[in-house]
Amino acid sequence: MKEELEALKKQALQELANVDSLELLRDLKVKYLGKKGPMTEILRGMGKLLAEERPKIGQIVNDIKTELQTVIDEKTALLEQKALEFKLANEKVDITLPGRHPKDGHLHPVTLTLREMKKIFMRMGFDVMEGPEIENDYFNFEALNLPKDHPARDMQDTFYITNEYLLRTQTSPIQARTMQANEPNTPIRMIAPGTVYRCDYDATHSPMFHQVEGLVIDKNISLADLKGTLELFLKEIFGSSVKVRLRPSYFPFTEPSVEADISCVICGGKGCRVCKNSGWLEILGSGMVHPNVLRMSGYDPNKMSGFAFGMGVERIAMLKYGIDDLRLFFENDLRFVRQFR
Amino acid sequence: MLASLEWLKQYVDIDIPTDELVDKITRAGLEVETVTNLGAGISGVLTGRVTEIYRHPDSDHLWVCMMDYGQGIVQILTGAQNVHQNDIVPVATVGAVLPPSGHNPEGLKLKKAKMRGLDSFGMLCSADELGIDAKLLLPEERNGIYILPPDTPIGLDVREVLGLNDTVIDIDLTSNRADCFSIIGLAREIACITGGKLKMPEMQVAEKAGGNLQELAKIKIEARDLCPRFAVRMLKNIKIGPSPDWMKKRLRACGMRPISNVVDVTNYVMLELGQPMHAYDYDKVEGHTLIVRRGAEGEKLVTLDEKERDLTNDMITIGDAKRAVGLGGVMGGLDTEVTDKTANVLLEAASFNGASIRRTSRSLGLRSEASGRFERGVDTVLPHNALNRAAYLLEQMGACETVQGIVEDYPDAVDAKVITVTPAEISGRIGMEISGEEMVRILRALQFQVEEKGKALVITVPSWRGDVAEAADISEEIARIHGLDHIESHYPALSMAEGKQSVLEDVRDKIQDYMVAAGLDEVMTYSFVNENIFDKLQLAKDDVRRKTIALMNPITDDFKVMRTMLFPSLLNSAGYNLARQADRVGIFEVARTYLPKDLPLKDFPVEPMILSVVLSGNCNDVSWCNRCSNVDFYDIKGIVEGLFEHLGVTDYTLDYCQEKFMHPGKSCVITFKDKVIGYFGELHPTVSQNFDLPEDSYILELVVEPLVNATMQIPQYEHMPKFPGMQRDISVLVPENVSNAELDGVIRKYGGELLQDVVCFDVFKSEKIGADKKSIAFKLYYQAADRTLTDAEVDESMKNIVAKVAEEYQGKLRD
Repeated sequence: MKEELEALKKQALQELANVDSLELLRDLKVKYLGKKGPMTEILRGMGKLLAEERPKIGQIVNDIKTELQTVIDEKTALLEQKALEFKLANEKVDITLPGRHPKDGHLHPVTLTLREMKKIFMRMGFDVMEGPEIENDYFNFEALNLPKDHPARDMQDTFYITNEYLLRTQTSPIQARTMQANEPNTPIRMIAPGTVYRCDYDATHSPMFHQVEGLVIDKNISLADLKGTLELFLKEIFGSSVKVRLRPSYFPFTEPSVEADISCVICGGKGCRVCKNSGWLEILGSGMVHPNVLRMSGYDPNKMSGFAFGMGVERIAMLKYGIDDLRLFFENDLRFVRQFR
Repeated sequence: MLASLEWLKQYVDIDIPTDELVDKITRAGLEVETVTNLGAGISGVLTGRVTEIYRHPDSDHLWVCMMDYGQGIVQILTGAQNVHQNDIVPVATVGAVLPPSGHNPEGLKLKKAKMRGLDSFGMLCSADELGIDAKLLLPEERNGIYILPPDTPIGLDVREVLGLNDTVIDIDLTSNRADCFSIIGLAREIACITGGKLKMPEMQVAEKAGGNLQELAKIKIEARDLCPRFAVRMLKNIKIGPSPDWMKKRLRACGMRPISNVVDVTNYVMLELGQPMHAYDYDKVEGHTLIVRRGAEGEKLVTLDEKERDLTNDMITIGDAKRAVGLGGVMGGLDTEVTDKTANVLLEAASFNGASIRRTSRSLGLRSEASGRFERGVDTVLPHNALNRAAYLLEQMGACETVQGIVEDYPDAVDAKVITVTPAEISGRIGMEISGEEMVRILRALQFQVEEKGKALVITVPSWRGDVAEAADISEEIARIHGLDHIESHYPALSMAEGKQSVLEDVRDKIQDYMVAAGLDEVMTYSFVNENIFDKLQLAKDDVRRKTIALMNPITDDFKVMRTMLFPSLLNSAGYNLARQADRVGIFEVARTYLPKDLPLKDFPVEPMILSVVLSGNCNDVSWCNRCSNVDFYDIKGIVEGLFEHLGVTDYTLDYCQEKFMHPGKSCVITFKDKVIGYFGELHPTVSQNFDLPEDSYILELVVEPLVNATMQIPQYEHMPKFPGMQRDISVLVPENVSNAELDGVIRKYGGELLQDVVCFDVFKSEKIGADKKSIAFKLYYQAADRTLTDAEVDESMKNIVAKVAEEYQGKLRD
């Protein structure tokens, strides 16, 4: 019987060794270890054996069963691993096909630039103020030291609605509105972003564009504070290597008035087509708030002083993104808009 | 403003290179736009005399000229018909170079040429070929070869003869610097900047003509507010003729056309000193009287340009004893114009009110060198100098004799302004320590008088600096001459708070961000529109949205009125892109519309902030894995719902939209807090067609402001359920016209308090279930806060729901 068992074990191990699928393995397990298998049969036939042989044979049968079970388990693990490997080897996607994702939308480059400008100024403690786009002559001009028939009104070709109402040519009226809404001589630190309009339309002028104006009023504000503030802002937006210079100019609402130039962001100041070989780019107008502007809005120029500045958003966007035609901003060609993020 | 460097050098020594000069004056506030070397591009062109001229034997238009150009005689052929024996003309011989011009856009290097068998060794030049602007020439000088004065020596470089060896700088003069609107003014500024010395022009008048000026001419200012000073000189024995070449050259270099000596001198003195002048034919001035007054209603004047002008009460009118003879400071009258026959001249130099001149010149469309100067303000001290300088120049030319004296009306002489300020105040405003001595030095160099009284400077402002009125203006003078580069940057004292923007601005940012996340692209359209959009939208004639704010001076019809709706502007952008082969147009804009309270505008209009969206074409970019069909109603509705969820806006209601421009069955109005705040859906097919868009185009128009409060609500945390909930599906067959909202409503109403949510997950129609029927399926979510639900509880609710759906909407449970 012992020999019989050994032969059975040998046969089983051989069959197990040759098995190459989980189905066949399951069949073999049933065949050798199942209730109708030879082991069970042998165990059933133990009654015929001598009493002292029974435990021995029983022991052998159990050992064989354990051994077969171990082999089957190992074989199962191996075949499962093989099956998994086979499955993985055959489950290959084309990773070059594009994935599924929500389609991308895009903000307009003017919005992107405006947001960046606002963010920088807000970090510097400037509040953002808004005002109406349809203004009256008083806030757009007179309160800014530009009385009727002042020759400097020519600097801004104005769209008129009536003799009294007009499309604002600048966002500076918000400065006067803010001062007048305040208690006299309250310190101010604000920017006024917004849409402005001028009656001019060609490759370098748009009848509608965007401006950010700024105003700081406090005790002892000087031109040096203006220079520092502009430098801080311009280095934030164009990078820390940018150089800033001031040049005397004239605006009716400031005295002294200065224009700020930055070293050309295209050529780094060496001279190129964009800066007309001067190495400098005009970027904004500014100056110390004219005493008349303070007086007209109830501020005392002997106690308070301030500076103001104004710049075009499109101009900054053009330099930042290398856009060479102002009209692109308002054509709304999606092939243009979709380039920015 | 154009300034001849040669002219400037007469009054101030300039010994630095032009580049350096230009940089220095730009940095002092006079921005140089361009520097032009007039003769650039000309070389080898000499003056030559026609020693012999005859017709080309084989041509009916060519002439053969033998030209003596000082270095020999050469044969040159010309096709011009105005050349005669002994004329002196510019000769370009072989090897000479001509600048780009109308005739030769690329410029020209001369070579020997053969014309109909005869050699030509160069060419005779027209003014255009020498690069001279036709506007600066008399009509007779414009055509044909430029004939030079008969006494011109031959063999001279033509650049010298024509003043083309000069450099002209063009300054973009800011409107405050009236004092620099002249050669003398610029020379004064340059003297201050470079440390040079200013020289003044000669103006000692001989006054050899006899007569008592007080008897010969009478003047009077009636409109004193419009004219503070009016002064006249009288010139006798006038000999009208051309001006000398040196004067013509300077006039041309500064952009003015030489005409005749008297007129040229008035222009010359204006350019030199900054005082506009006018010359009247004395014998045509009635009563030899000039009166400064306002124009009378209905009064007319034919001006020098031969146009009849209607005068108004607002216009500075110069009258004689009978009629108007000029518009002061703008243009003279034709009747009293100086002509070849003029024997005696009244020369006027006056101070006119700038604002009035500005209004007059604008309303008549007559803007001139003179009106430009008066608008900015002319020094009231100048008229005497100008009259003297002009008389002097004409005497020197032998063109007149001057009557002794000046007759004038100058009732209220203007006192010089005095400003008292301390150096500390000025340094404080500039933000840089500048010494009192340096300030005094700068101010004196600018010809301000300065007296030091204790710590203060008492500054007397020169008459020509009308722009300097108070201490702030003095600080500008100091800062710009001392040099802005010396200012060290400084920062205003720190504020402890970061800046803020309004909640509305936050909402705008939030909306823009949501739209971008939803795959839409932002556009920026003009705020003004063409009125024809209202017809394209089929708006009723009396629709309030047709009441637009119109511009008085629009650029084109497309930019004529301020928009009252935003989405039509986006329809144009959509059309623009679809025409350029865009497959998918999903665009948005957040911007203002402009709604008048009344018209014409008497009050500020309302400017609501509007969000508009337009969807057209594919709903997605073409891709192997996306749905790429046309956009439909549920795409635009999804955007609206998503946005509202993003903003925290709930409890809004939707109804079918009645607008004529919308598809009646595929569009909604949005009502929020009892107000209509917008509409969305498919455009009416006719409207789509009117805007050149495909039929299934979708729009959203939404007012932003009413949403602001909702966005400010801070979400409050609710505990999550501790016990498992239960889900059931229900599918009912109902008549086709029963809406999702109706079924949803009845389910929620009768589902009991355990029913937490209802979601429609399928809508199905087919012939099989009947054409007038639809199947609609919902997922029902049940939940109790305090226990695990039992099937029995939920079954009970479901039973109720089925019964009510059957009762109210003839619904049947679908298996």
